[in-house]
Amino acid sequence: MARQMRQPKDRSRLMLAVIAGGFALALFGLWLRAGWVQLVQGERLAGLARRQHLAAEFERGERGVILDRSGRVLAKSVRFTSVYARPVEIEDAGRTAAELAQVLEQPMKPLTAQLKSTKNFVWIERQIDDKAAARLKDKDLKGIYLTTEYGRLYPNGHLAGQLLGFANIDGQGIEGLERAYESVLAGKTAEFVVQRDASGRRLYLDAHGREVDIDGDAIRLTLDGHVQDLAEAALAEAVVKGRARWGSCLVVEVESGEVLALASYPFFNPNVKAKVDPASWRNRPATDVFEPGSTMKPFVVSAALQEKVVRPENVYFCENGKWRYSGKTIRDDVHHYDWLTVNKIIRYSSNIGAAKIGLDLGARKYHQYLSALGFGQKTALDMPGESPGFLRPPERWYPIDLAAASFGQSVGVTLLQMAEAYLCLASDGLRKPLRLVLDPAPELPAPVRVFSPEVARTMRAMMLEVVEADGTGQHLRIPGVPMAAKTGTAQKASPQGGYGDKHVASFAAFIPGDAPKYLILAVIDEPGPVYYGGVVAGPVVRQVGVNLLAYKGRLPDTGLVAAAPAPAGAGGEGAGLEEPVARVQPAAVAAGSVPDVTGLSLRKAVEVLAAKGVVPRLEGTGGLVGKQNPAPGSAWPAAGEDMFTLWLTS
Amino acid sequence: MSARAAQTVRTYDLYLLGAGLFLAGFGLVMVLSASAIMAEKFWHDKLHFFSRQGVAMIIGLLAMVFCAVVPRGFFYRLTYLWLLLAAGLLLATVFTPLGLTVNGAKRWLALGPFTFQPLEAVKVALVLYLGYFFAAKQDRVKRFSIGFLPPLLVTGAFAGVLLLQPDFGGAAMLCMILFLMCLVGGTRLTYLAASALLVLGAGAMLIIHSPYRFRRLFAFLDPFKDAQNVGYQLVQSLYAFGAGRLTGVGLGAGSQKLFFLPEAHNDFLMAVVGEETGFIGVSLVLVLIAILLWRAFVITARQAELRDRFTACGLTCVLGLGFILNLAVVLGTVPPKGVPMPFMSYGGSQIIMSFVCLGILLNLSRREAGR
Repeated sequence: MARQMRQPKDRSRLMLAVIAGGFALALFGLWLRAGWVQLVQGERLAGLARRQHLAAEFERGERGVILDRSGRVLAKSVRFTSVYARPVEIEDAGRTAAELAQVLEQPMKPLTAQLKSTKNFVWIERQIDDKAAARLKDKDLKGIYLTTEYGRLYPNGHLAGQLLGFANIDGQGIEGLERAYESVLAGKTAEFVVQRDASGRRLYLDAHGREVDIDGDAIRLTLDGHVQDLAEAALAEAVVKGRARWGSCLVVEVESGEVLALASYPFFNPNVKAKVDPASWRNRPATDVFEPGSTMKPFVVSAALQEKVVRPENVYFCENGKWRYSGKTIRDDVHHYDWLTVNKIIRYSSNIGAAKIGLDLGARKYHQYLSALGFGQKTALDMPGESPGFLRPPERWYPIDLAAASFGQSVGVTLLQMAEAYLCLASDGLRKPLRLVLDPAPELPAPVRVFSPEVARTMRAMMLEVVEADGTGQHLRIPGVPMAAKTGTAQKASPQGGYGDKHVASFAAFIPGDAPKYLILAVIDEPGPVYYGGVVAGPVVRQVGVNLLAYKGRLPDTGLVAAAPAPAGAGGEGAGLEEPVARVQPAAVAAGSVPDVTGLSLRKAVEVLAAKGVVPRLEGTGGLVGKQNPAPGSAWPAAGEDMFTLWLTS
Repeated sequence: MSARAAQTVRTYDLYLLGAGLFLAGFGLVMVLSASAIMAEKFWHDKLHFFSRQGVAMIIGLLAMVFCAVVPRGFFYRLTYLWLLLAAGLLLATVFTPLGLTVNGAKRWLALGPFTFQPLEAVKVALVLYLGYFFAAKQDRVKRFSIGFLPPLLVTGAFAGVLLLQPDFGGAAMLCMILFLMCLVGGTRLTYLAASALLVLGAGAMLIIHSPYRFRRLFAFLDPFKDAQNVGYQLVQSLYAFGAGRLTGVGLGAGSQKLFFLPEAHNDFLMAVVGEETGFIGVSLVLVLIAILLWRAFVITARQAELRDRFTACGLTCVLGLGFILNLAVVLGTVPPKGVPMPFMSYGGSQIIMSFVCLGILLNLSRREAGR
């Protein structure tokens, strides 16, 4: 018995030792393996792990919104569902393609081909509608996946379309502000991703496992959606009526340099960019260079005043409208003058007078002032595709160039440059940068003094005469509000050399002219047959000015407007004048109750309400008011309550 | 009284106890680190897994103390009861609605608010049974029909049910326990060699008939080839170990657990240990495991009674195989199968039954020292 017991015990002890040895060996082996993985291969694996974290199933944050100054959304991102396939996982390509074809209403053949490809990933369709997405989700096809993407939506259609630009389907800004502010707007990529929890919320973590916000930041523009709308409407009317190629209009708040409107026509609707000519999305105020013509004259005269080369009361002989100088003939085409004081050279826009002042000033000095005003350089806005304009160095100016430059030919400018230069005159000679973005606040160059306050005021007084006296803009008066302005009509250089029969009409105005609050500029390219700046571009500025004042509650009592003289000038420009008369006081409404604005055009309705100090909220798209809240006849909403809503129809 | 109590405590193997407690404590910390972010996200409670693990550990410690002080008859006399109980639990997971389906496998039993993995209990019950069997039938153990067939059938039945779950890893583990206990228990080596050949043959058949399954099984040999699919978990585990280098990235600072490494707090907890505490931390865990197994083998070898010895051997194998298979999986040296790290991985059943094994071993260490 004892022997019997010992034998199995001994054997079991031996086997135990074998097992223990085996375990020890295994543990030692695993220890070596751990050392190999961690110490020898560690660096390589750590690198691979890092790369995985960076390139991990990327998740992009939502692109930031673009807002106007009051928070109205100009561009926003919306979630779309897109469909993609992993062909390697698909077992029955034919059946899957048939199902997809039915839901997505796509032809079978290309789908089948896509599904049979050997790729790991193919897009089937980007941005499908919600119904199709829901049906695909129900079908739960093998190898077919739905993913959320962000598309870009511009809720106001063409409003500020060229300025906003657009972003492509992958969320990259391609044009306009979308491009200029890409670094702010773009959603960041999450380094670590992360599934979604049951509620669909996503979690993004940084390298330390903390939650991070990867959505892009919003930008808030100085633009005012209403003013932009006013400017676009006026511009569209003028370009169509003037049979012009295109036009731009710029509204600037003088004190801050903030751009309230930056409009171009023909319109560009960033929502439908695929179908239009790329030329239509040019942000022309920044990209297009034109010879401004007489709108340049205030700068040569201001420079001459500042340099004390002339005094306002000096007289110049204007050669009775035709002056042969340096082998060329300079003309004053509409009226012919003999002797004009400096202020009248501005008032009547005499080319010969301006040329003589320029020649007295000298090329070097004039060039110096033009440079100081920002011509020949990009503005601080630095818009995509912005042009520096065209300003030759003074050494290369022939005397005829100097003469021509004095009345705005042989120099090329952008509308933005013109705006900054006029802003300098409006701000008492201090050159301030234009501002387009409120948030994030841009770094702006410090203001620079170019003209003394006296010179700037003198020039504004001269410009006041253009409208308020018998100047080239006299038909554009806004009763009760003085306007200082300058007209410009430039011949366009023809491709054959020399100047042809095409023109650029421009107009720049300060409102009110004596103490400028707003600067409004318009340029109309190749209008015809009427092409004078005061006739083609002036009414745009006037109409925008009137509506802007109404909107801001600064339009004087309606009686004054009603008493305004009928406009002079050709081409039925009076339409721009009559409108405010007719619409300022809606009929048959008790003063204490809400007027009926349904059926009115949007612009009209807004003006009516603006006159009451109410800024309505707009719902839907279109040009007509279909419905309003509060109802006509009911009491005005309490002050501060932002409750007036208009529903639009087209 | 206190001197006597101290004397009593000293009769237990304190190295064994200490190693087990250190492993469990370290495991608890790592479970917190590995699971906090995931728990915050899915349960809105950073401590979701940590607190559950803590409760399981307290229950486990109580179970360990009970097993350490209770007369051994409690285990030995009721061997068949334990076996039937374990079998009942296992069958319930597969054939009753109590079985919980997770990731396509029914491995858990839902008992009210608690879930339990019967496999853990099956391992211990099987060891008690095999210990009894080989000790009782020692004189006839060389005979095929008496010494080899019954344990093979019992183990095979359990393994069969596990395959139904399916839990290939669990079945393989039971077979390994049987194999090792047969070695110690005195089964003819020819039988063992023959059955080993049989397993190899079956494996070969599998390869021929189902190359897909084979590819899946052996994807671990080159996980990077199919890193997005079959090899994903393993690649993520190796990234974690690699990122840890010698000293680790620091407790809590690992990034692989951030949803890259599935089951980070569970079967792949050692990968988080590797990333956050580096080779030093991994070595420390290995040293603790070595101490624990060394003491367990010493205790086993000192048992004079065959039944004590076989039982101790079986429990040692349960723990040892758990450690080794888990490490082998996370380090990419065997096909990935769900084997938790004893004492450390998250999981109440695993923690409690690991402590039960430790308790019984402590019980046996006392008896041996008491002689």
